[in-house]
Amino acid sequence: MQAYIALLRYDVGQLARSWLVRLWVALLVVPALFVVVVAANEDEKASETLAAYIAAVLVPLSALVVAIVSSAAVSAESSVAADSILSRSVTRSEYIAAKVTSRLGMTVLVFAAVAIPFAYLIVRYSKDVDTSVGGVVAGLLMVGTGLVFLAALGIALSTLLRNALLAALIVLAAVISSGGALQFLGLPWMSSTAVLSDLAAIFRGDVENPAWHATRVITVFSILTALGVAASFFVFRRRDL
Amino acid sequence: MLVVETEDLTKIYQKRYIALNALFMRVEKGTVYGLVGPNGAGKSTTFRLLLGLQRPTAGSVAVLGEAMTAERADLRRRIGFLPTNPSFPRHLTPIGYLEFVGRLLGMPPDRAKIQLAQLLQAVDLTSAASQRLESFSTGMLTRVGIAAALMNDPELLILDEPTSGLDPSGRKQIIELIRQIAGRDRTIIISTHILGDVERVCTDIGLISQGRLIYTGPMSEMRRLARQGTISVEIEGNLAAFEEQVPTLDQFSSLRWERMGNEFRITFLGTQPLADYIQRVVALIDRTGVELLHLDTGPDEIEEAFLGRLEEDRSRDILRVAAWAATQEISGHEATRRPPVFEEEKRRLLANQPLPPEHGTHADI
Repeated sequence: MQAYIALLRYDVGQLARSWLVRLWVALLVVPALFVVVVAANEDEKASETLAAYIAAVLVPLSALVVAIVSSAAVSAESSVAADSILSRSVTRSEYIAAKVTSRLGMTVLVFAAVAIPFAYLIVRYSKDVDTSVGGVVAGLLMVGTGLVFLAALGIALSTLLRNALLAALIVLAAVISSGGALQFLGLPWMSSTAVLSDLAAIFRGDVENPAWHATRVITVFSILTALGVAASFFVFRRRDL
Repeated sequence: MLVVETEDLTKIYQKRYIALNALFMRVEKGTVYGLVGPNGAGKSTTFRLLLGLQRPTAGSVAVLGEAMTAERADLRRRIGFLPTNPSFPRHLTPIGYLEFVGRLLGMPPDRAKIQLAQLLQAVDLTSAASQRLESFSTGMLTRVGIAAALMNDPELLILDEPTSGLDPSGRKQIIELIRQIAGRDRTIIISTHILGDVERVCTDIGLISQGRLIYTGPMSEMRRLARQGTISVEIEGNLAAFEEQVPTLDQFSSLRWERMGNEFRITFLGTQPLADYIQRVVALIDRTGVELLHLDTGPDEIEEAFLGRLEEDRSRDILRVAAWAATQEISGHEATRRPPVFEEEKRRLLANQPLPPEHGTHADI
């Protein structure tokens, strides 16, 4: 447990020092403030403003950064991990658990720190507030769990591949190509395109059976996240360093 | 008590490259064991298997009397490890890094601070304690690595190429540091491809080549074997007469020699005591009437002899077969016995004699 806490502190410190993470936060916050100012002065619907920002700024940018940061979790520091960490009294499980906690935690934290205040400000200052509280919570949870799944996928790939860039590209390619695959599998509602295009309606609470719609997306992403985390443990515990 | 015990330890990477080939290694408590071999011989792979960083393809590894696996953090707590050209979190200072290591080891913060202060002083890094590791030279990083390996006051210390990338003065400093660390019932395993480094600190030695331990035993024995029969003489006078008579120094002509100006380097391939050979050379000097200016057995000869043995190992398949055959004979029994030194093979090789025909049978296999 002590090793896990030490590793968690170490990895969180690394993420806090990362210029990529800092840039990510800055690139989310600045447009968000701009959108709030615009929303307060224009006759835009709150649901559509919120959905547009999430679809155009938050999701693409976050997907890119989360893919890079999570794919680099293990692969980018494999030599440091072997030389300085795992050759000490640290188990593979403690190491990967710390990585999963910090990278998934960072995704949740940044998303929540940007999206929740932004949604509040939009709802508070928009001239045409058409959102429902339940709809906003459900919509944000859907997007948030999607990003967390992406982080879990990235970590799983980083335990499998030694090349962090390749792992990040695979994660992004998976996101981009998932629409077609899910359509083929008869699960179009799970695709990122479907989630994002329905977002304004979800924020308004307009979709048919909104609770079921949100629940199934959140449940599926949560299960996929759990599978990604389990795969990370499984692969990393057996990997040669 | 055996601190390290491997049985038929084999590591094959991606079904293409055999890094370790049925390694049979025994290291006893309190010894300073030098694992010597050229680059790519399997030294680092051996260490990674000893630490549970890699899984053996076949065979077993026991460290401090217990089987080592990736999840044996409790066992690794009793081991200190310095990797080759260690990778550290470069944004940290030595203090920050050693504190981090202390936390990984579960040390109480106060104890960790006392320990790291003492270690930084011991490795002579107190003055650089506030600098980030990214600004450190290779020698300084090695010293940080040694300090980190000693944080838990380990029973077993594994140093992988501790003098790699260092200049002669840095090398000397590290060797001196290792000499100071040795003792106090601590077992140290040092790998290197520079024999001179281990010669000064090791009590036992293992020679690894192409993933196999081709020699293991006390350092004194290896020193005796390596130096056996190599004599350098510097003479003046009728050098041609001396040179002509050199082949007669051994009745079976099992010797080789080279001449560099006034200096003759004569290597006897037999197994008789060095004193006998010196006596013969002195007698020849007397007989040919040359004047002896200088005679020694050469402090550098040991390294040359080791390299010679590696060359022999590379070029002569028969030695590989002998090692394989000997390993087969001892595997599975006499577990506490030292690994085979292949006395018969060694004697014959030194005497330049062929190995017995039964070994040839194995060669066909």
